[in-house]
Amino acid sequence: MVKVEFFGLYRLNYGLKECSVEAASVKELFKKLYEMNPVYTVKELKNSIVFVNDVNFLKLKKYKTPLKDGDKVLIMSPASGG
Amino acid sequence: MATKYGGYCGRVLKINLTDRSVSDYPVSDEDYRNFLGGKILAARILYDFITKPIHPLGEENVIVISSGPLNGTGCPSSSRFNVSTISPLTGILTSSNCGGSFALSMKRAGYDALIITGKSEELIYLDVTSDGVKFLSAEHLRGMLTMDTQKAIGGAGSKIVIGPAGEHLVRYACAVSDDRAAGRGGIGAVMGSKNLKAVVATGYKKLNIKNPEKLKKIKIKWTKRLTSHPLTGEQLPKLGTAALVASMNQKHILATKNFSSGRFENYRKITGEELAERFLIKNKGCLTCPIKCARVVDLDGMTVKGPEVEIMGLMGANILNDDLHEIVKWNYEMDELGLDTISCSGTIAFAMELAEKGMWDSGLEFGKKDNISEVLHEIAFRSTERGDKLADGSKSLMKLYGGEDFCIQVKGMELSAYEPRGAVGQGLGYSVANRGGCHLNAGYEVVVEGLGLTINPYTKHGKAQIAIMFQNLMEAVSADGSCLFTTYAFFPPFLFRKPNSLLSRIVNGVLPYLGGALKIINKYPHLVHLNIPPMLPHPLAINAATGMRLTMGDMMKIGARGFNLERIINTRLGITEKDDKLPKRLTDEEQIPGDKRTKVPQKVLKKDFYKGRGWDENGFVKKSTIRYYGLDKLDNIGQRQAVSSEG
Repeated sequence: MVKVEFFGLYRLNYGLKECSVEAASVKELFKKLYEMNPVYTVKELKNSIVFVNDVNFLKLKKYKTPLKDGDKVLIMSPASGG
Repeated sequence: MATKYGGYCGRVLKINLTDRSVSDYPVSDEDYRNFLGGKILAARILYDFITKPIHPLGEENVIVISSGPLNGTGCPSSSRFNVSTISPLTGILTSSNCGGSFALSMKRAGYDALIITGKSEELIYLDVTSDGVKFLSAEHLRGMLTMDTQKAIGGAGSKIVIGPAGEHLVRYACAVSDDRAAGRGGIGAVMGSKNLKAVVATGYKKLNIKNPEKLKKIKIKWTKRLTSHPLTGEQLPKLGTAALVASMNQKHILATKNFSSGRFENYRKITGEELAERFLIKNKGCLTCPIKCARVVDLDGMTVKGPEVEIMGLMGANILNDDLHEIVKWNYEMDELGLDTISCSGTIAFAMELAEKGMWDSGLEFGKKDNISEVLHEIAFRSTERGDKLADGSKSLMKLYGGEDFCIQVKGMELSAYEPRGAVGQGLGYSVANRGGCHLNAGYEVVVEGLGLTINPYTKHGKAQIAIMFQNLMEAVSADGSCLFTTYAFFPPFLFRKPNSLLSRIVNGVLPYLGGALKIINKYPHLVHLNIPPMLPHPLAINAATGMRLTMGDMMKIGARGFNLERIINTRLGITEKDDKLPKRLTDEEQIPGDKRTKVPQKVLKKDFYKGRGWDENGFVKKSTIRYYGLDKLDNIGQRQAVSSEG
């Protein structure tokens, strides 16, 4: 199982802090999340900022980044303030 | 007094507390055009008064409360006013920007700015109306907390007040207006030193607008832009600035354990999301603000103002505290006592590290939270030896007990919660900012180094030029009376809506390498002879309100003029290149051991910055730069005989 944590607008709109999902890639994870709760479509989830084990998935294989049991995924929205 | 421009009242009052005299300060139309308002107009006025080093808490210090041309026009997020003075924390110029309703009330009373000089013999407050100024006894307000003071004064006027911290000359005491604070640099202490508990402004005058129909159309489009932008329309209203905590932690930017790290293991407990879920009652905005970033929270049954990101970080990760309830409580207590949350938190973290290293046992320890409220009270009232020492700030503590390398301040001002080894451009900004270690006057480059945009946070390329451009932009926007958050719409929404798209990645990748182009714009801002309303609607709104004809380039030039003028005042007060420096922890120690990128390359960045700014290697503004910005022939406004409208 992959542990998924939500931050920013994703957390507010999903209404949950975290969940565990069985997925072999980020793309599959997005699909599973949509099936669990259709708040966001897969296309919309592709616009989130994603960290896989603390590494931005843009530095990995983006949506094709493989996931394995025990991996931690963070899904965040862009933020600013000051 | 009069002005040909709309948007202004055309009057600036000089109020002498010593002899209780009031006179007009003859600011001209040319001054309005060149210095706009807010912090820049304040710097222009202080340039007349501060010609040599002074004692900031002495009678000779001067406070300037100033508005901008957009205050009172109903433009979105246009309620900000500015307070400038010589800081007792740093000894140099400080300017603090504050929301609320005071700017509107001051302009309705008929004044663009108030200059407060001298010192009252007894504790007083000023009652400013269109009929003039009354000097009223404030003895009944002595020792009162900031909200109680505002309630006790009562009436329909807007107030700027100080709490016990200001009365006891805590060097980082703030001034509070409504539930907002002019926080940084010890403005509250300067008011306290003048025996000035509060300033109240009441007025009903209508502001003259040059082209109201045009301004109305601009306001509608501007508001729509802000409310539809991902940052100002979604993120800030729903989560406030505290939304940044998780992102900062992820990017190694969250100041932790007195800036010894950029990540906090227990950050999940102190995020903006936790604040929203556990404490939030509603969000709130200043007058005319569609963003509404402020948090109204429940604290043990009381409805109080919630903490901003800076205090979430500095009273959380930076002191190894993961108890959000305590952060909300301390934030409330600091506001009520009239303490600047950033400097107070930074000083406490420094004291904790001094204790950990056996250099000063103050009873403050990382992770220990049960004595913080007690310490805040001791600081505000200087009621114990410990509180008295902490009340003078971290640099003063460092002089007593050592610890220069980990005393996290610049020019005496404590840094905000952004750990600059995870965003080196922000580190440069901290080191050269005019008011000391301020994240905003720094240029707030961290917003493109990982928070909003994601340019390479460690590269040196382009960082100095980006800092200069943002500093200029923010100076000008602040001077017009707008909230700095309106500048977030400067960035096209797609960069935030689609951060993973090819286009966004190209922008983020290329931006640092546009330093050459930015250099030309920064050096000759007048060349940008155009307006791009979606990016920067401010000049168009100013034009409609005042009748001026400003472009984006003019705005940046005004901003640069302001930044350079502030630097000139600071160099008069003794600032040189030697003062533009971060503590060694941030420049010499790697944040992530073994990763050489994770320290601020201050020397190289500063050299680029000086060159880009037109300063010499000693940090002085070059004569050619002074001439370009028209700062070489400034007369003393106060010595002008009489000024009438040029129109």
